[in-house]
Amino acid sequence: MDELDEPALLVAERIFAGYVRGVDVLAGCGLLLNEGELVGVIGPNGAGKSTLVKAMFGLLRVRTGRVTFRGRDVTNEPAHKLVAKGIGYVPQRQNVFPTLTVEENLRMGTYLQPKEFTRRAEAVQELFPVLAQRRNQKASSMSGGERQMLSMGRALMMEPDVLLLDEPSAGLSPRFQDQVFERVREINATGVAILMVEQNARRCLQICDRGYVLDQGTNAYTGTGLELLHDEKVIELYLGTLARAR
Amino acid sequence: MRVHLVLATALAQGDEVPQGPGFLDRALQALVDGIQFGAIIAITAVGLSLIFGTTHLINFAHGELVTIGAVVAFFLNVGAAGPGWHLIPSAAVAIVIGALLGGLIERGMWRPLRKRGVGLINLFIITIGLSLLLRHIVLVFFGTRPQSYREYDIQQALDLGPIGITPRDLIIIALSVLVLLGVAFLLQRTRTGTAIRALSSNPDLAEASGIDVNRVVLIVWVLGGGLAALGGVFYGLTEIITWDMGFRLLLLMFAGIILGGLGSAYGAMVGSFVIGIVAQMSSLWFPIDLQNAWALLALIVVLLIRPQGILGQRERVG
Ligand SMILES: Nc1ncnc2c1ncn2[C@@H]1O[C@H](COP(=O)(O)OP(=O)(O)O)[C@@H](O)[C@H]1O
Ligand SMILES: [Mg+2]
Repeated sequence: MDELDEPALLVAERIFAGYVRGVDVLAGCGLLLNEGELVGVIGPNGAGKSTLVKAMFGLLRVRTGRVTFRGRDVTNEPAHKLVAKGIGYVPQRQNVFPTLTVEENLRMGTYLQPKEFTRRAEAVQELFPVLAQRRNQKASSMSGGERQMLSMGRALMMEPDVLLLDEPSAGLSPRFQDQVFERVREINATGVAILMVEQNARRCLQICDRGYVLDQGTNAYTGTGLELLHDEKVIELYLGTLARAR
Repeated sequence: MRVHLVLATALAQGDEVPQGPGFLDRALQALVDGIQFGAIIAITAVGLSLIFGTTHLINFAHGELVTIGAVVAFFLNVGAAGPGWHLIPSAAVAIVIGALLGGLIERGMWRPLRKRGVGLINLFIITIGLSLLLRHIVLVFFGTRPQSYREYDIQQALDLGPIGITPRDLIIIALSVLVLLGVAFLLQRTRTGTAIRALSSNPDLAEASGIDVNRVVLIVWVLGGGLAALGGVFYGLTEIITWDMGFRLLLLMFAGIILGGLGSAYGAMVGSFVIGIVAQMSSLWFPIDLQNAWALLALIVVLLIRPQGILGQRERVG
């Protein structure tokens, strides 16, 4: 793991976690995210990428290991408390409240700060105009790409310092994928640190400051986006096969 | 049931009723009775539905919350060792106790069990046990003898054309509708209500949005307990108070919820009215003992035509 002088914003160290008793999906992996950074996590299907994000965000119990945010231990803190501390999360699947309207989805984004709703909703709708157009429609009526926008918008309503994105481009048409990556960069440019899990490894590494390759619950490779993009082993083991799989 | 009461009132008044009222009159009367019965089912079922929606727990002990509400009000109203209060303050205290009991059960039992990861089937079995336990506790204190409240048990029916309705029944219907509108307002227009719907819609995302899920579930139980108790008092007022009255209502609550569309609070309300009306109307043609059977038959027929229930949404794919 990188040893940087400045304290990192969000750190996960030697995490063990899993869904079934006695089976560790995560077997000692970890990562670190600095203030304002855009970091990618890639790896084959089933490597444990989503599991790692869930464990860091308090949605899955960490068996051993440590998660720190701004230097404070937040291991196994419930997600709603981490939201209050400034972490936002966009899940891979089921990322909206389907029976709620678009506006109500955004409203739940400011559940903890209801007074801020109007002002923040304006900013979010500027970033994602489709949310303003479809404000009163049920989220269930939206396409996958629109849901992704809505979910990012919901997470941004708290003005988080860190955004955890789990495969934001998965299942989207190329046009929407472009839009998503563009928005991710825009959000990052406003100073929000982003941890992004991606299947679309090349695209992800192209825009990331740094990347981690996760395999079978452990860190396989770590480096800057460019280093990983050009690393022979990474290409052979991960980028090549993933590119073919697409 | 109401039909007979009105007949009895009419007889007592010395009106001539050799053939009884005409069919249309009786049908209208049954409709009004059905609306009232439906309103009572709805008040109790909406809490059951919200509990299911937010926790996926099928609370088999919900009927006992109804019974306890009715019995607590009875104790305060006419109980031998009770203070002999008027029914209205008695009912108010019963609602508070129902709400507290709901909250206590959630906080003391369901939350710890959920936290330990006990499966839903196991929890369901536990609610059956809890139902049995609570019912028999009530039996010990209340006994098997049916009772009624002191006030409002016999009232002169207002004569509204063909329909005879007592002021008591009119007030029960009006209050029930007001309470249901209040619940709808809570769910639709308040932050907590939206959070309840969000939690029913996607629990992990609710938590990930900063909603304290356990707190919202506690609110739902408090609300459900209070509503069940109120429904119990109304039920005791219109029928009679017995130790297993809520248990007998439970099947109709479930029927209302499923008929309206599982997981939708508004569906539970609509479904309950349908069940109540069918049950009462069936007694126009069939023995009154079979009215619940007809209500359940209506449930089956509706589900055959519309498997997701009246307001239920089909499971979305993708
Ligand atoms: N809810 C779950 N219950 C049980 N096992 C799960 C669950 N979610 C994921 N897994 C298992 O955990 C492993 C890692 O999954 P996941 O973190 O989703 O991988 P990735 O996101 O890298 O594709 C897989 O073997 C998967 O089958
Ligand atoms: Mg995943």
